[in-house]
Amino acid sequence: MMKEQIDKIKKTAKEEIENVQTIKDLNDLKVKYLGKKGELTLILRQMGNLSSEERPIIGSLVNEVRDTIENRIKEKEEELEQEKIKEKMAKEKIDITIPSKKTVLGSCHPITQIINEVEDIFLGMGYEIADGPEVETCFYNFDQLNAPEDHPSRDLQDTFYITDKVILRTQTSPVQARVMENKKPPIKIICPGTVYRSDTIDATHSPVFHQVEGLVVDKNISMSDLKGTLEMFAKKCLGENTKIRFRPHHFPFTEPSAEVDVSCFVCGGKGCRVCKDEGWIELLGCGMVHPNVLKNCNIDPKEYSGFAFGFGVERIAMAKFGIDDLRLLYENDVRFLKQF
Amino acid sequence: MKTSVEWLKEYTNVDVTTKDLADILTMTGTKVETIEEKGKEIQNVVVGKILTIEKHPDADKLVVTKVDIGEDIVQIVTGAKNIKVGDIIPVAKDGSSLPKGVKIKKGKLRGVDSCGMMCSIGELELSKEEYPEQIEDGIMILPKEYESKLGQDIVDVLDLREDILDFEITPNRPDCLSIEGLGRETAVSLKNEFKNPRKNLDKIDVENKKEIEGLRVDIKAPDLCYRYIARVVKNVKIGPSPKWMVRRLKACGIRSINNIVDITNYVMLELGEPMHAFDIESIEGKHIIVRRANKDEKITTLDGVERQLNDDILVISDEKKAVAIAGVMGGENSEIEKDTKTIVFEAAVFNRGSIRKASKQVGIRTESSSRFEKGLSTENALRAINRAVELVEELKIGEAIPEKIDVYPKKEQTISITLNPDRINNLIGTNLTKEEMIKILEDLEMKVENDKVIPPYFRQDIEQEADIAEEVLRIYGYDKLNSTQVESSATIGLRTKIQKIEKDVRCMLINCGMQEIYTYGIISKKDLEKIGATNLFDSSIKIINPLSEDYTIMRQTTIPSMMETLASNDSKKNQDVKLFDISRTYVNENEEIENGNVPKEDKVITLGMYGKDVDFYTLKGIVENILQVSNIVRFELKQEVENPSYHEGRCASVYIGIDKIATFGQIHPIIAQNYKMSKEIYVAEINLSKLEKYSKPAKKYTPIPKFPAVERDIAIVVDEDVTVGKIEDVITKQAKKLLEKVKLFDIYRDEKLGKNKKSVAYSLQFRDPNKTLTDEEINPLMEKIVQSLEKELNAKLRV
Repeated sequence: MMKEQIDKIKKTAKEEIENVQTIKDLNDLKVKYLGKKGELTLILRQMGNLSSEERPIIGSLVNEVRDTIENRIKEKEEELEQEKIKEKMAKEKIDITIPSKKTVLGSCHPITQIINEVEDIFLGMGYEIADGPEVETCFYNFDQLNAPEDHPSRDLQDTFYITDKVILRTQTSPVQARVMENKKPPIKIICPGTVYRSDTIDATHSPVFHQVEGLVVDKNISMSDLKGTLEMFAKKCLGENTKIRFRPHHFPFTEPSAEVDVSCFVCGGKGCRVCKDEGWIELLGCGMVHPNVLKNCNIDPKEYSGFAFGFGVERIAMAKFGIDDLRLLYENDVRFLKQF
Repeated sequence: MKTSVEWLKEYTNVDVTTKDLADILTMTGTKVETIEEKGKEIQNVVVGKILTIEKHPDADKLVVTKVDIGEDIVQIVTGAKNIKVGDIIPVAKDGSSLPKGVKIKKGKLRGVDSCGMMCSIGELELSKEEYPEQIEDGIMILPKEYESKLGQDIVDVLDLREDILDFEITPNRPDCLSIEGLGRETAVSLKNEFKNPRKNLDKIDVENKKEIEGLRVDIKAPDLCYRYIARVVKNVKIGPSPKWMVRRLKACGIRSINNIVDITNYVMLELGEPMHAFDIESIEGKHIIVRRANKDEKITTLDGVERQLNDDILVISDEKKAVAIAGVMGGENSEIEKDTKTIVFEAAVFNRGSIRKASKQVGIRTESSSRFEKGLSTENALRAINRAVELVEELKIGEAIPEKIDVYPKKEQTISITLNPDRINNLIGTNLTKEEMIKILEDLEMKVENDKVIPPYFRQDIEQEADIAEEVLRIYGYDKLNSTQVESSATIGLRTKIQKIEKDVRCMLINCGMQEIYTYGIISKKDLEKIGATNLFDSSIKIINPLSEDYTIMRQTTIPSMMETLASNDSKKNQDVKLFDISRTYVNENEEIENGNVPKEDKVITLGMYGKDVDFYTLKGIVENILQVSNIVRFELKQEVENPSYHEGRCASVYIGIDKIATFGQIHPIIAQNYKMSKEIYVAEINLSKLEKYSKPAKKYTPIPKFPAVERDIAIVVDEDVTVGKIEDVITKQAKKLLEKVKLFDIYRDEKLGKNKKSVAYSLQFRDPNKTLTDEEINPLMEKIVQSLEKELNAKLRV
């Protein structure tokens, strides 16, 4: 008799829970079945009328039904909660293509970007970054670098003079000499910096421009090491497929000296506007540090050898970013700068 | 240095195309800049014969001709005056092309068909010097015997095809400023035999005399003139040079003058030794004196310009006057004239530095000076003068007296360098045998005896082992170099402290929306005037030889560069511009420049901005960010009223102790106007070098508080000129340790507060790290603060 009553409660409760629509109605059902005056509680109260054999059976039955109803309600509760959130989200749907509210970012100048890239490559290879004065003495800019006053190589550069002894450095090479004077080998440095030459401003010239100089001095450094180093650099900076080509040249501070071409990183060597259809772009000058330069800096050329290289930053920046007029780099029009 | 391939062929067998030759020479160090293929542009131009000439029906100045061009007879209308029936002439046919991209097509001239054009020498890019019998403003008239060549290509008939190479010769190789040197390089590079037709010039010798035909030579400056050889040629017949010589000179870019002058130029091109020829009659006392010029001396050079000389400059003079600037240019007064009868050939060698200086000072650079300034061999001078005489005899234009005056104060020293193949292989990273090295060196005419290398006289650039290594490598082939990696002792690639700060600051500024710029460190006096800092001019580092008056001094402040950039962006209507520049200033602090040293260079971060949302406090925020990124905690802000570039009420400086590390604020409105800007411009200058100096090392951790903070708000009314900074000082001083944060949240002005009064509101945050604070602890503290504010700043508490 009582058992049927319980089964009935179980059945109707299940149905009612199933059909409930709101959390409030669900709470009402909870009270109705499980509350202090709920239907199951009422049944438990009637248990006193039962025999001692029946009592535990009915008792466990009631508990079982109670658990079932409780679980159902909990499940339903979660269901309703989720529906509610879903509904809320549906209302909150937005247009993701509306412009963002980000903080506007600035950017590094293209010259800095190239210098940073070069620095990172060489830092990774164990080089330090060295620095030196831009207003430099002839002693460091020329004499120490094996270019005495009557040396023809001084003609290659149109120098800005401050006095007959002080100039604006025409190259970053004087930093080499300064470092070698103050440091014992092994020396592995690069020196990025501003240099000056008396060139009128046009699409490919500027009296102020930037170079990166590299120097390695140690025992048993060879020209093959130089080639390997530059090959590595070219691949990292300009792309893994880059090839390099050494051509003999002359610089007073290196012997043997070379000019280095890289396969055009715009067309890959097929020939284009940037490489003037030659497939190669002249990139840098380099060579084995001249024994006279080592001697000048108190390094024994019998014990040590070294290599040095140097290149123009603007040239790489222009080729890499496709900039066709050098002046853009110094006009600093934000419409240009923001593109980098 | 330009030369024709044809001339090079005199020295060796050239069995490759001109393009390949250029590539091969470039790879062995004689870089070819350009290849010019002469005659290539002339197409479809043939030999023709004029059959008839008739008047043009409608034009007085034109005639109608019938011309036989071999396979055809064509009608050509021309305005030329110098033609007659039977003349043999070059005809550019319909559809032909001429130099400089000129195309010839048939057409009508005043209604009459014209099928082609007769050519002048100019139209074929030929010169009057090569064809002296031709006129420049008429048709080229070919010799009668060419009648048998009607219809043949003019390029073949006149032999116009010529490949010309333009070399970039590095300054260490003056020997390659000669055909002989280039011929040698060509032979070695092509691995062909070098057949030097002038091999035996040094073997020719004539008797050395003190005086020839009354001519004497004295060197008064033996430090600047190492050798002077003179030879005299009598009964000279001045006239034009033969066509082959004119043509070779032209290929090398030298214009023909007359046979004697041409010989000197020809020898210079052939052997690399510049020569000179004087008319003996113009040499007063027939006495050549090589001396330094006097201070006030002047000379009019061959180009007709009067030149001021000085005692740095070496001259060739007679007993009264200078007749040439040694090694640079001859004087007008001793020029070879049409009626010159007796000449003196000069072959001399001068100190390279002296020539370089002289050429710079008088402002002329000639074929001659550009060779001498690189340092020439005294041995070659004798060969050159012998060659000149040989040419005179070959051309039969004079009688050379078989004697020479040879003043030779400084004999050249030959050097010898030990050949150590191991060291060379180590230096260049090769595995060449000793024999391979010797072969290369001998091909380059170096002597190798008992492991000693003796360079030839023309290779003064070979001084030591490294030079030998380069010679070996360039002929072996730079392209065969291996690629290896440096096996060096361990080194650490690490940025220094200042480099790290610079990198962090740059990164932070970009995140603040700032755009990096690059500016020139060279500015002008005008720039200083524009920022009201003319006083800096006297102490500025000045360039002696500036490019223009816009770039004359090194900047001591970066403000002009930043202002210029802001102004240029403003003029382009760029809005809301925020810029930064990390660059240098140059200050001659302690007369470093005067003492031949380098001045002080500081790295400076310059900020510059205008636009909406930009005011003093935006700028202040970024300056504070820079200090934070640089790990600078303690600093002091002071109002700066006397900086002429800034707005006197809106400028501040950051101090650490008494050291000023930054100045920032609004640019003075008048200064902004100087740059044609009417908006508010904000600029900051932060000394990066000083940031490095004061940057603290690693930060120390403070525990995160366990007990809650207590907040109290306070609002006071003070006089307008009481700064927020002063109020905060008073609050902090009184509150001592428990005060954690003072936050300004309102400044309010209203007439009701009273004249020149403002209300300032703060939120104060107190915390004890060891316990929860109670009202009993805070209240007395707040009272003390209020009392002090009242007492010290005459503040009134607002309720």
